[in-house]
Amino acid sequence: MQISLQGKPFTLLHEKALYNNDESLLIIADVHLGKVNHFRKEGISMPLNAQQGDYLNLKQLLDKVTPKKVYFLGDLFHSDYNYDWHHFEALISCYTDTDFTLIKGNHDFVDVEKFERLGLHIVKDLIEDKHFIYSHAPVSYEHNKLNISGHIHPGISISGRANQSVRIPCFYLKDNLLLLPAFGTLTGLYKMDRTASAHIYVVLPGEVKKL
Amino acid sequence: MNAPTGFGKTYAIWFGVLQNYFARKKRKAGLHCLWLTPLRALSKEIYYSTQQVSDELGLDYEIAMRTGDTTQKERQRQKKKMPQGLITTPESVHLLLAQKGYNETFKNLEVVVVDEWHELLGTKRGVLIELALSRLKAINPKLKVWGISATIGNLEEAKEILLGTGQGKSKLIRSTLEKQIEIETLLPDQIEKYPWAGHLGITLLDKILPVIHNSNTTLIFTNVRSQCEIWYQRLLEAEPELAGQLAIHHGSLSEDVRLWVENALHDGLLKAVVCTSSLDLGVDFRPVDSVIQIGSPKGVARFMQRAGRSGHQPGAVSKIFFLPTHSLEIIEGSAMRHAIAHKQIEQRVPYIRSFDVLIQFMVTLAISDGFRADELYNEIIKTHCFESVSREEFNWCLAFITKGGKSLDNYDEFHKVVVVDDVYRVVSRKVAMRHRLNIGVIVSDSMLHIKFLGGKRLGMVEEWFVSRLNPGDVFWFAGHNLELIRIKDMTAFVRKSTKGKGVFPSWQGGRMPLSSQLTDAIRIKLDEYYNRKAKDIEQIKLIPLFDRQEKVSHLPHVSELLIEKAHTKEGYHVFVFSFEGRNVHEGLSSLFAFRIAKIKPMTFSLGFNDYGFELLSDQEIPIEQALENGLFNTEHLSADIYASVNINEMAKRKFRDIATISGLVLGNYPGKQTKTRHVQANSELFFQVFTDYEKDNLLLQEAFDEVMTFQMEQVRLVKALERMQGQKVIIKQLEQLSPFCFPIFAERFRDQLSNEPFDVRVRRLIEQQGE
Repeated sequence: MQISLQGKPFTLLHEKALYNNDESLLIIADVHLGKVNHFRKEGISMPLNAQQGDYLNLKQLLDKVTPKKVYFLGDLFHSDYNYDWHHFEALISCYTDTDFTLIKGNHDFVDVEKFERLGLHIVKDLIEDKHFIYSHAPVSYEHNKLNISGHIHPGISISGRANQSVRIPCFYLKDNLLLLPAFGTLTGLYKMDRTASAHIYVVLPGEVKKL
Repeated sequence: MNAPTGFGKTYAIWFGVLQNYFARKKRKAGLHCLWLTPLRALSKEIYYSTQQVSDELGLDYEIAMRTGDTTQKERQRQKKKMPQGLITTPESVHLLLAQKGYNETFKNLEVVVVDEWHELLGTKRGVLIELALSRLKAINPKLKVWGISATIGNLEEAKEILLGTGQGKSKLIRSTLEKQIEIETLLPDQIEKYPWAGHLGITLLDKILPVIHNSNTTLIFTNVRSQCEIWYQRLLEAEPELAGQLAIHHGSLSEDVRLWVENALHDGLLKAVVCTSSLDLGVDFRPVDSVIQIGSPKGVARFMQRAGRSGHQPGAVSKIFFLPTHSLEIIEGSAMRHAIAHKQIEQRVPYIRSFDVLIQFMVTLAISDGFRADELYNEIIKTHCFESVSREEFNWCLAFITKGGKSLDNYDEFHKVVVVDDVYRVVSRKVAMRHRLNIGVIVSDSMLHIKFLGGKRLGMVEEWFVSRLNPGDVFWFAGHNLELIRIKDMTAFVRKSTKGKGVFPSWQGGRMPLSSQLTDAIRIKLDEYYNRKAKDIEQIKLIPLFDRQEKVSHLPHVSELLIEKAHTKEGYHVFVFSFEGRNVHEGLSSLFAFRIAKIKPMTFSLGFNDYGFELLSDQEIPIEQALENGLFNTEHLSADIYASVNINEMAKRKFRDIATISGLVLGNYPGKQTKTRHVQANSELFFQVFTDYEKDNLLLQEAFDEVMTFQMEQVRLVKALERMQGQKVIIKQLEQLSPFCFPIFAERFRDQLSNEPFDVRVRRLIEQQGE
């Protein structure tokens, strides 16, 4: 779905990512790779193959969009180093022409050096340009740009006649903040408010729809 | 041993225990008798009773308590030197089994007494007891096990479950004494003016004031905690003189508050207490001479137990008043009397194959002295719960705790239990510590403490309730009008308010279905009306209502099944009155919806109560055609039930407890949440992941099995369908809603069922948003 942010053309992708058309920049939040192995190390049994979908989705998305640049808005790799890193390494090395940047999140504890060895740029807090602020968590200071962030894992509950309801992930735009849905499959949803001033774009199988 | 309350069961067993000990010439040191109770309050009572014997006879037999409240110092003291008698709970025994060298602790144990076994049976705490006993019997093959139980429908089976399938003789001792119970239904003056639907019953408040005044002390039982809070408040408003003599008691109040009420009750300081099932059990409140049950008691055993709270002395009559909350419910007073007279008392259905509890138990043993697979397997299959567990299934559990499932990946980093020289052990202190905190099977929602600014604890409410309040908002809790000041570290700080208004908290939690014993009795009582044999006061009161039902629809004979159809602005309704309890109706409604939707695709909204259920759709429901196609067929039943959407949702809810008990999801510890957050995932995620990637996961299957046994009550559901096949179906098209269907129509709790694909459904929902 095409939308305009700060006068610039963007695409809301049903793969749960945002694309900045002018800059050929793909923006992805909260992938949480390595989560399965992190849990397993702690003695909590999640099936090993439960994360495969994430790698596959990521690969398919990169192949479809072929962006010049990719920003990961934090929580790319869940907690510290574990064996999943090798899968990540294998994936990233297929895209030598793409410029990857990670804005660190609260779950990213892997060494900066390990990322840099893979050619990723690491940014501690945020990336700011003329119109936008890209960050992991929404920034807390006053500004007059658009803050694009992750961290929240926004979702919305839709109800209709005869007491029916569903909960689905969404893009959530309110005032000068755009929240991206979490990309990873092993993530939960945080239920957002349906205030009138919020623009809500729900993610459905195969498309994004404005509420 | 089975006898009515107040006949001296405790002493009957305790003197036997003492005799067993003192008859020996050589008395061994250490723990001799373990007495297990389901409640801390009960532990105290047993402690005082047994200690009194030791004191007055000057016996050298030390008794101690060990519950969640026991101080660290006292625990250390017990560890050094165990008393002869230990009164404790199922969870505390498992914590003892999690201590290194527990073999030594239980070396000379001779007797285990399980008190109120009927309460534990039919819960996973009962499974904890079965497992603990299997281990203790392995240490002491000559262990004597006593069970104490109130009267239930399957007493013989209860005995066998407790004892397991091992060697040894057993005996059931039953008292021939019977407790006299007198039931009086509090009736509205004019049945025509009493509401057709409702759960609260406040309209009859005037009727209970005389009962309170004419009694010494009255216990007022409500079915849920929110109802308890509301009744307490309304009673005080109606009769301000009761202030100071009226108290409130339910499971979410703090231990201090509850203890104060219990002591005041015991000492005869209170005129009345509004309570929930928290006062069902054990503790003897001699001053109580009247009991009031507000709303359907749902089961005969439960009603008798509550009645037995009054007239606790041997030979005394138990007097109970029943207050129906809507007009049709009046029939239950009459049905209850019938069921008690004919000794129709419910069975307790035990849990079987609870792999979550087994997995927890395995890790418990692994953090203390470790276990060997063959030995443990041979022990657990002697319990009723795990009798049918195959070696392959047991091996799956072993793999689950050592390899995190059946993964074969060489690079797997899973770490929990390790095998050293064939012994399964936990070596990581972190794993051991986390497991100790997780021992137990009672899973609660995320709860917040309610505290005064001064620090006094009032109790707990669910997080979602407080999250809807802002500082300054006023709500009722523990009988106080409270203002929310702030929320910090999972605690809501409050101060007393004088506004006198405010919302009442509610707690989520299962609602009990009406038991089949009661529904059978209701059918008999309706039939008596039909045959003009009605003579109970309740039945006579209901005649105008039944006449009206007959006029606008039909009053079903016992050999008939009534189906009502109606068309309102909400859509097309079909009501079916099968009188099978809300669980079976939940199952039947989704089954029928699924089968009808085979005729043409449609989405239903489902409603149900204990008497019947409703299908609602925006299209006309082809019920006649569905009947011709075999709506009541019991063939393909499991497949049809599994195909309906709801079973997944139900299983997901059951899986919440299973995930916590088996250690996948860490329990909620107020104040300690931050430390565990990075390994905290909700059970829904696990449910989804297992469904997608590990269909044969035993914990996942357990969730579905539990739904079939306890939620759908499969056995009862099949019987219901079979009965329907033999009944004559009467279909009535209603011009106006009938007294039967109105309570279901008015229910706010509804489920939905659809055979349309997910995205089609969501897209339509989105379209409806725009309208």
